[in-house]
Amino acid sequence: TEFRSSDVHNSDDYPTVAAVKHMSDLLKQATGGKHSIKVFNKGALGSEKETIDQTKIGALDFTRVNISPMNAICSKTMVPTMPFLFRSVDHMRKVLDGPVGEEILKDCEQHGFVGLAFYDSGARSIYGKKPVKTLADTKGMKIRVQQSDLWVALVSAMGANATPMPIGEVYTGLKTGLIDAAENNVPSYDGFKHYEAVKFYSRTEHSMAPEMLLMSKVVYDKLTPAEQQAIRKAAKESVAFQRKKWDEQEAKSLAVVKGGGAEIVEVDKATFEKAMGPVYDKFITTPDLKRLVKAVQDTK
Amino acid sequence: MDGFTRVCAWLSRLSLVVAVLLLLAVIACVQWQVIGRYVFNDTPTWAEALAMLLVLYMTSLAVAVGVRDAGHIGLESLIVLLPERFRLKLEVLIHLLVGVFGFLMAKAGWLWATMKWNEKKPMLGVPEGADYVPLVVAGALIVLFCAEHIVALLRGIEVEPAWN
Amino acid sequence: MELTILGLSFLGLLVLGVPVAFAIGLSSVATILYAGLPTAVVFQKMVGGMQVFSFLAIPFFIFAGELMLYGGIADRIVRFANSLVGHVRGGLGMSNVVGCTLFGGVAGSPLADVSAMGSVMIPLMKKEGYHADYAVNVTTHAALVGALMPTSHNIIIFTLATTGIASVSILGLIVACLIPALILTICNLGAAYWVAVRRGYPTRGDFAGWHEVARAFAAALPGLLVILIILGGILSGVFTATESAATAVLWALIVTSLVYRTLTWKDFLKACAKACKTTGVVLLLIGISAAFGYFMALYEVPQKTGALMASVTQEPWLIFLMVNVLLFLLGTFLDMAATILICTPIFLPICVQYGMHPAQFGVMMLINCALGLNTPPVGTTQFVGCAIGGVSVGQVMRTIWPFYGALIVCLMLVTYVPAFSMWLPQLVLK
Ligand code: NA
Ligand code: NA
Repeated sequence: TEFRSSDVHNSDDYPTVAAVKHMSDLLKQATGGKHSIKVFNKGALGSEKETIDQTKIGALDFTRVNISPMNAICSKTMVPTMPFLFRSVDHMRKVLDGPVGEEILKDCEQHGFVGLAFYDSGARSIYGKKPVKTLADTKGMKIRVQQSDLWVALVSAMGANATPMPIGEVYTGLKTGLIDAAENNVPSYDGFKHYEAVKFYSRTEHSMAPEMLLMSKVVYDKLTPAEQQAIRKAAKESVAFQRKKWDEQEAKSLAVVKGGGAEIVEVDKATFEKAMGPVYDKFITTPDLKRLVKAVQDTK
Repeated sequence: MDGFTRVCAWLSRLSLVVAVLLLLAVIACVQWQVIGRYVFNDTPTWAEALAMLLVLYMTSLAVAVGVRDAGHIGLESLIVLLPERFRLKLEVLIHLLVGVFGFLMAKAGWLWATMKWNEKKPMLGVPEGADYVPLVVAGALIVLFCAEHIVALLRGIEVEPAWN
Repeated sequence: MELTILGLSFLGLLVLGVPVAFAIGLSSVATILYAGLPTAVVFQKMVGGMQVFSFLAIPFFIFAGELMLYGGIADRIVRFANSLVGHVRGGLGMSNVVGCTLFGGVAGSPLADVSAMGSVMIPLMKKEGYHADYAVNVTTHAALVGALMPTSHNIIIFTLATTGIASVSILGLIVACLIPALILTICNLGAAYWVAVRRGYPTRGDFAGWHEVARAFAAALPGLLVILIILGGILSGVFTATESAATAVLWALIVTSLVYRTLTWKDFLKACAKACKTTGVVLLLIGISAAFGYFMALYEVPQKTGALMASVTQEPWLIFLMVNVLLFLLGTFLDMAATILICTPIFLPICVQYGMHPAQFGVMMLINCALGLNTPPVGTTQFVGCAIGGVSVGQVMRTIWPFYGALIVCLMLVTYVPAFSMWLPQLVLK
């Protein structure tokens, strides 16, 4: 079968897009050409929210989404989204490759999804027309966030005015001063051309919310155990490939935004970390979630 | 005017009144967002989400009213060329097809609404399934109004728009 | 096979006389049943297609237009326009073009433009003795300029679609669109005048003098201020395009009920009801078109077309012509944003390879996609215009040719004369 997978990124060579294509090659090899995956990127089949629902009812075989839209469906996915939880990229990779990552992927199953893998999405930072160095700088700033309770809480905890806005309006908003800042990883700061509008990228690195690859449980259950294993294995093997691509993409984008006049600002992260208590109080409410957060913090 | 027609006319008028109130509410939401951002420097995060939800209800009701008032645009080229008795059959068929669409719309709306009832909508805290409730309501109204049109066609009378 | 079912069932239903939105919906259902996928996806795409925040501007502008129409703003604007160009043959048509262009600069969306200006101008032109088809064609074509204006969200969509292929800055494209927008306006004026002369539309006496112009302008000013409020509001960052549309409603309400005191309670209710009904028609169509676009993407219609084209010819001017024709054909069915997002990655590399600048390609694509808004079977701007004018698409199509001609002249100038789009950016953005 040629399975269908969705992705919202425009570039055919974007790390997550390339990774699923790579996974398709691996799967083809493992099944003697019987199965492969076709990637529909550019959001051709719908937004992340829409493709998640399509996957749930079996209209779509795979979907590659950010972890945030899964928060409302599967509560354990909130853990890797939490601010300043990971100490570094290496820490994040270690956690997601370990038992905590497995438990979160497994948790998606009862909601109709087979969680196959986590992909990197880098660290998200604040960019605007003013540099941000300490918590005092974000006070009263109008910062664009995604339409998500967690993101609103996170930015509010910084003392800023969280302003939910669709991504398409952000460029104009930054340009006209409707919003003072937005937050995202470097490849998005580059890809959406926001570096043309605002020049200070302040490394707050407040969240490392990863990407996920999900498969429809409806489709998965129709396969033989051997085929199911082949899919799981290919997905896991595509992770290393994606991370390599991600690191390359990040370096490339960093060069582009610097070439475009952007300035990278170093931040006193400790002042931000201390302010995040309310976010944890609001979202890490069940014993399960508390245990997972603790497990992440204890991962050396 | 018989009972069936009276019920349909009343439902259509009610739908339009509710749609108008929703339109005003959507405008209020968007205005409140601007006021909150500037006057209080505290953007009401629910405003945009609520506007997007309400506009679905407003549009769906208006779509149903449009079916009753024959407001939707089509190419009438073929109908006018046909002899009277074919024209009647064709018009019945068209209403039948629109009714089928309404039925499928209600059915799909029900599926999504129930499936997504336990997911919380960000910013509002209402179920995600609330997005799809208007499909059920409007779908049912469309089926009803198509039935009214078919009955009216067979009896050779016109369906009067409820409110102009 | 799925595509054959999609295409044939859609055309069949359309010919039967099923309203367009339902024809799209039913053919989508037929296709998805054949493909063995759940029908629920069609309705999910429909809801998703309606739930775009910037689309809220559509009901708002429709509503504001209705209020202006019933509340006497339009009468004063028309008196001003007439004092200025009313003595020219077909003067109301000409001022319609200018008004739509100005308003398009504010709304940045042909759909919002036709909703707002159409609601005011089309009924007035009918009242003044112009034929409905002329009124609708003038308005729907003048409204297309909105797609090239600085506030056009389609400009943003295009630059996003070029990511990973070519580097086009948003500001660069905005500047590149300015002269083509002017050319398009001039072409529209030409077409409006030509038809007015051929049909012998009335002239309304002699030029009344600048004194009269000034007096008419003063009377129209509170109404015209809405344009300033919107444009100033967006450019200064006070609000988004959508918020500005909501403000336009508020302003229209204030002016008509408090300043002019012409809006009665009955008129207000009428405006409300009409705005709701038109919104229902338009948003249903936009929503269900998203389902159609889903199949186009799923069965890779544009990709297959692109591959085929590259195998046919190597001649640059022929390639450009073919790209234009294919964009036009796809634009007949697809929504503007969908066409841009799906076709840019296919056609942009080909055109760049044959020597076209990416920004020039962007302008060409925007004009072509805008043209698609006025082509059946799926022409959203045209639908709105027809709905407001109370005429069928068929009636409008019979006399649309001079207006298509104007658009095509502009399109060809942009396609084959790079200077029109590239001179200004090179001058301004060193
Ligand atoms: Na716009
Ligand atoms: Na079209």
